[in-house]
Amino acid sequence: MFGIALAFAYYATPKAQVVGYQPTQPIPFSHKIHVDQLGLDCRYCHSFVDVAGHSNVPSGNTCWNCHQHVQKDSPKLEPLHRSMDESYPGYDGKPIEWVRVHKAPDYVYFNHSAHVNRGISCQSCHGDVNKMEVVYQAESHSMGWCLDCHRAPEEHLRPLEEVYNLNYNDDDVKKYTTDSSIKTTKDLGKQLKDTFNVHPKTSCATCHR
Amino acid sequence: MSKRILQHPAVPTDEKTVSWRSDGQLRDTKEFRTWMDREFPRGAAEMENQEEMETSRRTFLKLMGSSTALAGFGMVACRRPEAYIVPYTKAPEWVIPGKATYYASNMPRSGGAVPLVVTTFEGRPTKVGPNRLHPEYEGTDAFTQASVLDMYSTSRSRYVLKGGKKNSLNNFQLVMGALAQDPAAKIGFVFGTDDSPTRKRLAAEVAAKYSSSKLYQYEALASDNATILGEGVKLVPNFENADRIVSLDCDFAGTDQQGSNTTFFNRRKPEGAGYETKPDAGSMNRLYSVESAFTLTGGMADHRLRVAPSMIAAVAAQLAREVGASAGGISPITDSKQLAWIKELAADLKASGSRTAVLAGSRQSAAVKHLALAINLALGNIGEGNGIQAYQTGTSGYGDIAQLTADLNSGAIDTVVFMTPANPVYDAPSDLKFADALAKAKTSVHLSDRTNATAFACSWHVPATHYLESWSDANSARGIYSIVQPMILPLYADCVSDIELLLAFLADDGKVSTGEGDDGAIAPALAAVKETFGGDKSAWKELLKNGYAEGNGFEAASPSLSGNAAADIASAAGSKPTKDNLDVIFSTDSSVYDGRWIDNGWLQESPDPVSKLTWDNAVLIAPKTAKELGVYDIEQTLEPEKTILGVKQPFTDVGPDGEGENRKSPMITITVNGVSQDFPVLVSFGQAENTLVIPLGYGQGFDKDDVLGRDPVGGNFVGLVGVNRGFNAYHLRTSETSYLATGAKVELTGKRYPVALTQEHNAMYGRALAREVSTASVAHKGDFEEQLGMVKKQGNDSHAPTNISLYKQEGSKNWGQAGKDGEAQSLLSDPLHQWGMAIDLSSCMGCNACLVACQSENNIPIVGKEQVAKGREMHWIRMDRYFATQDDNDFDADSPALVPQPVACMQCEAAPCETVCPVNATVHTEDGLNAMAYNRCIGTRYCANNCPYKARRFNFFDYNKRNPLIKNNLNRGPVGKRHDNEPKSLQKNPNVTVRMRGVMEKCTYCVQRIKDSVIRQKRGQKQEVLAAGKLSPDVSVSDKTLRIPVDSVKTACQDACPAEAITFGNLKDGSASEMVRGKELERNYDLLHYIGTAPRTSYLARVKNPNPKMPDAKFVGQATIHMV
Repeated sequence: MFGIALAFAYYATPKAQVVGYQPTQPIPFSHKIHVDQLGLDCRYCHSFVDVAGHSNVPSGNTCWNCHQHVQKDSPKLEPLHRSMDESYPGYDGKPIEWVRVHKAPDYVYFNHSAHVNRGISCQSCHGDVNKMEVVYQAESHSMGWCLDCHRAPEEHLRPLEEVYNLNYNDDDVKKYTTDSSIKTTKDLGKQLKDTFNVHPKTSCATCHR
Repeated sequence: MSKRILQHPAVPTDEKTVSWRSDGQLRDTKEFRTWMDREFPRGAAEMENQEEMETSRRTFLKLMGSSTALAGFGMVACRRPEAYIVPYTKAPEWVIPGKATYYASNMPRSGGAVPLVVTTFEGRPTKVGPNRLHPEYEGTDAFTQASVLDMYSTSRSRYVLKGGKKNSLNNFQLVMGALAQDPAAKIGFVFGTDDSPTRKRLAAEVAAKYSSSKLYQYEALASDNATILGEGVKLVPNFENADRIVSLDCDFAGTDQQGSNTTFFNRRKPEGAGYETKPDAGSMNRLYSVESAFTLTGGMADHRLRVAPSMIAAVAAQLAREVGASAGGISPITDSKQLAWIKELAADLKASGSRTAVLAGSRQSAAVKHLALAINLALGNIGEGNGIQAYQTGTSGYGDIAQLTADLNSGAIDTVVFMTPANPVYDAPSDLKFADALAKAKTSVHLSDRTNATAFACSWHVPATHYLESWSDANSARGIYSIVQPMILPLYADCVSDIELLLAFLADDGKVSTGEGDDGAIAPALAAVKETFGGDKSAWKELLKNGYAEGNGFEAASPSLSGNAAADIASAAGSKPTKDNLDVIFSTDSSVYDGRWIDNGWLQESPDPVSKLTWDNAVLIAPKTAKELGVYDIEQTLEPEKTILGVKQPFTDVGPDGEGENRKSPMITITVNGVSQDFPVLVSFGQAENTLVIPLGYGQGFDKDDVLGRDPVGGNFVGLVGVNRGFNAYHLRTSETSYLATGAKVELTGKRYPVALTQEHNAMYGRALAREVSTASVAHKGDFEEQLGMVKKQGNDSHAPTNISLYKQEGSKNWGQAGKDGEAQSLLSDPLHQWGMAIDLSSCMGCNACLVACQSENNIPIVGKEQVAKGREMHWIRMDRYFATQDDNDFDADSPALVPQPVACMQCEAAPCETVCPVNATVHTEDGLNAMAYNRCIGTRYCANNCPYKARRFNFFDYNKRNPLIKNNLNRGPVGKRHDNEPKSLQKNPNVTVRMRGVMEKCTYCVQRIKDSVIRQKRGQKQEVLAAGKLSPDVSVSDKTLRIPVDSVKTACQDACPAEAITFGNLKDGSASEMVRGKELERNYDLLHYIGTAPRTSYLARVKNPNPKMPDAKFVGQATIHMV
């Protein structure tokens, strides 16, 4: 009996429910190609991530900027043509409906700009997006998972310059310090917690209001 | 469940002040005690009758059944549904998803534009606030705050109607086409009394095109001063210069605004605006008020003279005599007390000379206005730098409603176009028989956002745009050119603005071109406004950015006493009313104004500031008159409980709840001007005897659900909010008696009408709740300074030990103790921000601006009349209204002081609610907020029970989802009719949770605004790094970088307050913050300080500035409220 309850309890947690969620998108957009191969910055498309609470999904004209010239005959881009290309036979001007991967519940007010402007990278919550052909949810985004980081932010803090660098690793540390005792990103994070004056809050109203 | 009883100390025996919030309390009834003892009334949490219990049990079983079935299919239901993100195709300029955009605009109003900053989210306007840049910044009132809801109103007009039936804009276009080609058409254009330069210009052009046309202006409660001051002339008080102000029944602080009164309120603070100087009684203004029934202005007055409405002219005449102006033929006042009062007032006015302002109510008789002008002229106070300024608005050549009726009857015009916000078929004086005259018109066009009585009486009705959807402009009270800009395209395709309709009349083919107009062309209304403005591109940009154009405003005027003054004054000689010959005041309602807001749920549910009545109107009557007429005892007793064969009905007994659902007012029949009408009665304090006050604007439509079974007439004139509300007083009113009627008779009917009265709801226990001091010396209490020093010791507070904050403050001995990991424990205290609030009772007048602003900001639902009657209203701010008098008052014992006190969650540092929550749903935050986590709340209501301020509200039903205005709808549970899919949901603030059934809620200090500004401040680090030109780890971030600028975040209530009574800020800013300066004053005190909750909100005692020579001076300034 206890076992069943335990199994059920685990099954109902965000960890079991949402990690790995990888829906099919209307356009099989590859972050791997755009970020890893082409080296686009996150903010080229998610342009308001550092000013707003929401990280915006790019509007059609952002894609169209390049794709009216590049790969314009690819059949994968058919929905984009329908939405943006006035000369396209099936043009309807309607926006593309991307399937939502990450969703915070309605009672949670998560703010992207509060995190990326203080040295928390996209990677900390969304995983190695630059390696993903198709985006999936890498972390549980449960309340306990949020609190883990709010209690120990040094695990994830980076210099502001490295927030959008999804290849940040221990080798990058020496750029920012002459102190030989600081070797790993975590060592640097510890130092940054003080320099940046980071004291994440853990009280309810931080996220629930 | 009874509330925890705190042993409040007894009132000392030498205390002369008697205070009360309702007559039930004054007589200390059992029913009032019940309200005091409970956090919610008995019955509030119980089912009403057998049927409802059955319904809910059935529903429960149904639900259980279905959920079991679902569970049987495994956990498929656990996987969240697929959701989509739909970005724009072409991103619009300025729009950042999830971030508010703010626009400067103005709300056109009869008294002058209200400068606004409108908050929009992705193009949806959700909230209006005042524009502090505007030279005529005036805060906002409840109407302005609630205006945003009207745009999304479910009952808003959406379609063109022909003869009351749905038709199309194309068919209306045909009518317009014919009219436009007939320059001989005899058209009458009826405008509102607001002042739009573009509309004025187009109206003049239209009048030139149609040589037989006429222009009119009409709003039911607007007054015409042309015969007194000269055409187009108006008076605006300069409160910053007015040391002595006399209000002759002029509610300039409330519903009869004469221009911005922010400076008036600032001069109610002895330390000045911003609390920057030492308390100085000399810097305060002094307000004298002569009135018949309490208005908010009368409540603010230092000296208030209570006289019957027909005697106001006599008082004004006596005052004129005393200051050396001509008083006409009115016989002098003989009452020795009143005479002494007026003599001393005159002496005080003469001593202040030009730094005075005598204001006559704009709906008062011509005689009173003439007399006020005569007094002002005698005092020489009109002119720049003086107490009053006169302006020439340049509005002339408009006829009034009487001329319109005459022209319709005579056939001088045969086509009429209504663009006024008024509803003349309903609200025109009854002797004009306006509906009959209108029926004679060949074509009548009604442009309005409501399908009211006039819409159905006209041959065509065209839906109007809201002011947040259309281009226009407006003059402020002093003539500053101000812009009205659209936030969104009209919600409904057929909507037309008044400017667009006038442009159609000017077009050769009469084409109605709306919204953005034709492809490639500039929007027609925008082009018209630009043409009026005439400035270059950069000036236009400035206009859009600031909301106004730099300029001098109206030209100055110098009015003089007109030739007909003597005759008008002589005709006003009134006689005192008697109980068989009563005076009637047709008053402006604080919720529906003249009736135009009847479909606005926020306004309907906000309690009247004086009577505390919601959802209805009722006749107000002084206690003595009520006794004489024999209604007092009936009014005071509750309707007997229903019994069958002597056995009490089990579920109709909801107990002795005072103002609970058993509160039913007796109905009386009032006969005046030869017309009779039934009204419920409420006893009202501080009102003149033998006077009936009837608020206008109700009773516009009824349907089959009406409790009195009135004829279901006009049900389609109003929506669900406005139907079956109150009683129509307009048909008692004639042109001559539009404000005051005499010779009314009253009869009892034996009927009763349920009223939802909130005056006893959430009544608090406690000593010295609201505190008041006087700038004059008071026996036993000493002079102003000594009284200020005693503010903190009033009530029991002199004996209470100092509160020690359990809450860890920087510098306290709890600060920095090492925790388990050896690091300092800073979790419980944020060194950057500690929020606090101070509420200045000296400038608070008790209007509902904060309450409605809070409702608009925080997604607070309305609950409907039946729920309010049960004490389930959801307003986070409760506007307490107390009366207080001295038991030895021998000047006028029946004229108490009116003391308002807004109470919301105090954000106690030692919050009693937190300790009793079994699930930790209400806990403290690091920055000193008492947080409420809705998703944790399981609805035990222990917290509300333990709150000594009664500041918590419980969602007994799913008010946000199920429409509470449909009969029995809430009890139907999941099968009830939903209203969250209606357009009004678009008004909701996306940054605030929409609460569901079964959770507790309360004031959050607008945590969403706090978080927004704190997060925005965090970007400062990046700026510093960039400025330093170094790597980010080399730039250390100080507290200064992360702390938001001083006083840069405003709560919704603070922002809205026209009296600037609320200050909010960061305690860590020290005296740089206005709030902290307020808290450092001697007159700062904590509410219920002695119970040790250490509230973050504190109050500043009210200061009255009486004239020591006045006969009533010694009773002024002592209205400290004790509720024990």
